[in-house]
Amino acid sequence: MNLSNVLFSAEQIQARVAELGAQISRDYGDSNPLLVGILRGGVVFLSDLMRAISVPCELDFMSVSSYESGSRTSNRSPRILLDLREDIAGRHVLLIEDIVDSGYTFDHLLQLLATREPASLKVCALLNKASRREVHVPIDYLGFEIPDYFVCGYGIDADERFRNLPYIAWVR
Amino acid sequence: MSKLSETIARHGHEPLLDHVLITAAQLQTRIAEMGAQISKDYHGKDLLMISVLKGGVVFLTDLMRQVTIPHHIDFMAVTSYGVGVRSTRGHPRITLDLNTDVKGRHLLLVEDIIDSGHTIDHVLRLLAARNPATLKVAALLDKPSRREVYVPIAYLGFEIPNEFVFGYGLDLDEYCRNLPFIGTVKKEYQ
Repeated sequence: MNLSNVLFSAEQIQARVAELGAQISRDYGDSNPLLVGILRGGVVFLSDLMRAISVPCELDFMSVSSYESGSRTSNRSPRILLDLREDIAGRHVLLIEDIVDSGYTFDHLLQLLATREPASLKVCALLNKASRREVHVPIDYLGFEIPDYFVCGYGIDADERFRNLPYIAWVR
Repeated sequence: MSKLSETIARHGHEPLLDHVLITAAQLQTRIAEMGAQISKDYHGKDLLMISVLKGGVVFLTDLMRQVTIPHHIDFMAVTSYGVGVRSTRGHPRITLDLNTDVKGRHLLLVEDIIDSGHTIDHVLRLLAARNPATLKVAALLDKPSRREVYVPIAYLGFEIPNEFVFGYGLDLDEYCRNLPFIGTVKKEYQ
């Protein structure tokens, strides 16, 4: 496996994350949002984004898995491996994800969380592959739009490798 | 709602910050050193870095970016039966287990803080029972004065006094995990 061009440098990512953090801080003010990270790919983005958020906020995690391999194209409900620790009724929930692809997993997750009656439920994604979308997912905060390339780095893996790269690269 | 969380919700962390114990720059410098050391020590080995939610995640995501050799990451979540995760003596329940088999692999448990040591001691025993090739601990903070059970720390960021600390993944009533530095809490809020 070879890494091709750098799609977004570490500096570009950090600058965009700072902008997103500032925007989220303005929008949420003192409403104490609950940031929900999705394991495992989203944690690097979450970790940097939360430090760019200047208003009081809380943190929680979920882990989901699809029933079959190829979660990004599966249209079946994901299994919840780790549920939230916090009760989200009446809370402002911001779901943090590394990449939105077909949208199936995310759509199921949003439907599930909506049944718990949060005050608001929004999505912040670092990357969006709009060309791959099969089901509508409202993205309220987006880092970068990308073409339909296989990417890795900044938490996103290629066969479990390259999550530690501080930049995002195309995989050839 | 406690006095602590009420204050933070209304005014942020500033009113209860006594002083910054470790700055963001100091944290990043030390983590870069730790990452370089780990990269050297595990060169050519199948390294799996394991983080325990929630507090250890910020440290893990910074540390992994300083580890230049190929490695994998995985997560565990544990919940203690009692209240007060940092001080409990009860065996923790695993609420999220590892996604991968660890037999024969080189495991590095990445922790934000070692306090009494009870929780990490249980996690270490559990992982050891799965026959990894090696099992070591990387801890950002060590409070040796609070230790009740021995924990071998192979890689340590900072040894700190017995103060009430927060930030950089460590919470105050679930708040303040997002601060990029480690601060101490004023006496009147403890």
